[in-house]
Amino acid sequence: MLEEVGDITAFAGRFFANAFHARFEWSELFRQCFLNGYRSLPLVGITAFIMGLVLTVQSRPTLERFGAASMLPAMVAISVVREIAPVITALIGAGKIGSSMGAELGSMKVTEQIDAMEVSGTNPFRYLVVTRVWSTTLMLPVLVVLSDAIAIWATWIGVNIKDDVSWDLFYRQVFDSLEFSDFVPAFIKSYFFGFAIGIVGCYRGYATEKGTEGVGQAAHTAVVTASLLIFILDLIAVQITDILGLN
Amino acid sequence: METLTVPQAPQAAITDERVVEVRGLVKAFGANRVLNGFDLDLRRGENLMVLGKSGSGKSVCIKCIVRLLQPDAGSIRVLGQDVLALGQEELDRLRVRIGFLFQSSALYDSMTVQENLEFPLRRHWLARDARSTNDLVEEVLNAVGLPHTRDLYPSELSGGMKRRIGLARTLILKPEIVLYDEPTTGLDPITGKEIVELILQLQRSYNTSSIIISHDLNVAKLAANRIIVLHEGRNHVEGSYDDLRASNDPVVRSFFIFM
Repeated sequence: MLEEVGDITAFAGRFFANAFHARFEWSELFRQCFLNGYRSLPLVGITAFIMGLVLTVQSRPTLERFGAASMLPAMVAISVVREIAPVITALIGAGKIGSSMGAELGSMKVTEQIDAMEVSGTNPFRYLVVTRVWSTTLMLPVLVVLSDAIAIWATWIGVNIKDDVSWDLFYRQVFDSLEFSDFVPAFIKSYFFGFAIGIVGCYRGYATEKGTEGVGQAAHTAVVTASLLIFILDLIAVQITDILGLN
Repeated sequence: METLTVPQAPQAAITDERVVEVRGLVKAFGANRVLNGFDLDLRRGENLMVLGKSGSGKSVCIKCIVRLLQPDAGSIRVLGQDVLALGQEELDRLRVRIGFLFQSSALYDSMTVQENLEFPLRRHWLARDARSTNDLVEEVLNAVGLPHTRDLYPSELSGGMKRRIGLARTLILKPEIVLYDEPTTGLDPITGKEIVELILQLQRSYNTSSIIISHDLNVAKLAANRIIVLHEGRNHVEGSYDDLRASNDPVVRSFFIFM
């Protein structure tokens, strides 16, 4: 376990050593941003919609019991923005992006494609790993913001199942209750979640051995490790925001 | 019965200049010492074959030459440069001058044939524009006899076609030295012979020096100017195909058991 933590840390160190190299693989970075960002939009969008709707429907009875049904938009919005959207989006990213990175790089490793890249004088770490880790780090916050917006829209639909609240009124209720300190820590931590997904997915793929069995293992351990890391990072983020008085 | 004509290994243009010099190469994986003081010299224009049984360290040897593997001891000089002392940028520049054909062909399976061939060109800015890139791709595809495969993916190619495209990708950078890792393994005898003929033809066209790793004596007979038998991590015997054929050494004889 400790050895694994050390290996992932060393892999992350190697990323930083190569991340700002003068000859950057821009076209591959844009391609990865498209694949990891744009192609994840439908899954993230649907999940955010369902998440906002379900949270609203399930929270209503409890709030009604305390006579606080009018707090429903604010409560759901704060929950979504501060915690649920970043964590759920990151977990979806770990499942979709992390596993595909683990499997893709793992498959390239066992079929000698990474070696072929290296002997052709191309640095495979810069081409494959640096671009992928940058893409997840940059794209996850974008996906989280989108997830926030869709979940809040779904909350409005959820509120209107039983009530009749105009979008303008709902919008004002939500944004009156949200503060800058709700957005910023959540936005910052989503960069770390994206970085964790990219590093773990690439590390697992790059360290693949034992043929096709290893490729399967790389894919599934990428998801498990990245998901675990997301929860650990979330815990650390909560402690830091608490110390800074942002909770 | 028809007699098959076989091309002769090219004898011309072999000079005394040593383009690869390996001395005392040692490489172990855990307790398994695969190479134990292996020596090799490749002269310009020569086809050198390293013959050995499976697991004898043949592939390890050529992977050490391009530093895909780091040897435990020994020295490697390629085109006058000490491979083990080079920094990453210098090593990458040297690697452009060395072609490597993998046993599995190692084509990038998410790219088409055209993209596979363009990949090394774009990385090294060897083509000035789209037209010259296209011309170079067309040239190597014609050279390997597969001009119609541009838009196909590797999964749509047969084993022999993959090997040819792998060869085309190796040659598109116009290397001075080509390292072939088991070029005919997994192919039927007819396709294997076609690949060897293609290797010889391309060697003449592109004026390369080659190290061919194989356990296939047909490759040795058709392509090698000189053969080194690798046994227990060391040079066991060295000579031409005919020398080995006439040898009474039991290790050498064991390779001819099915001939």
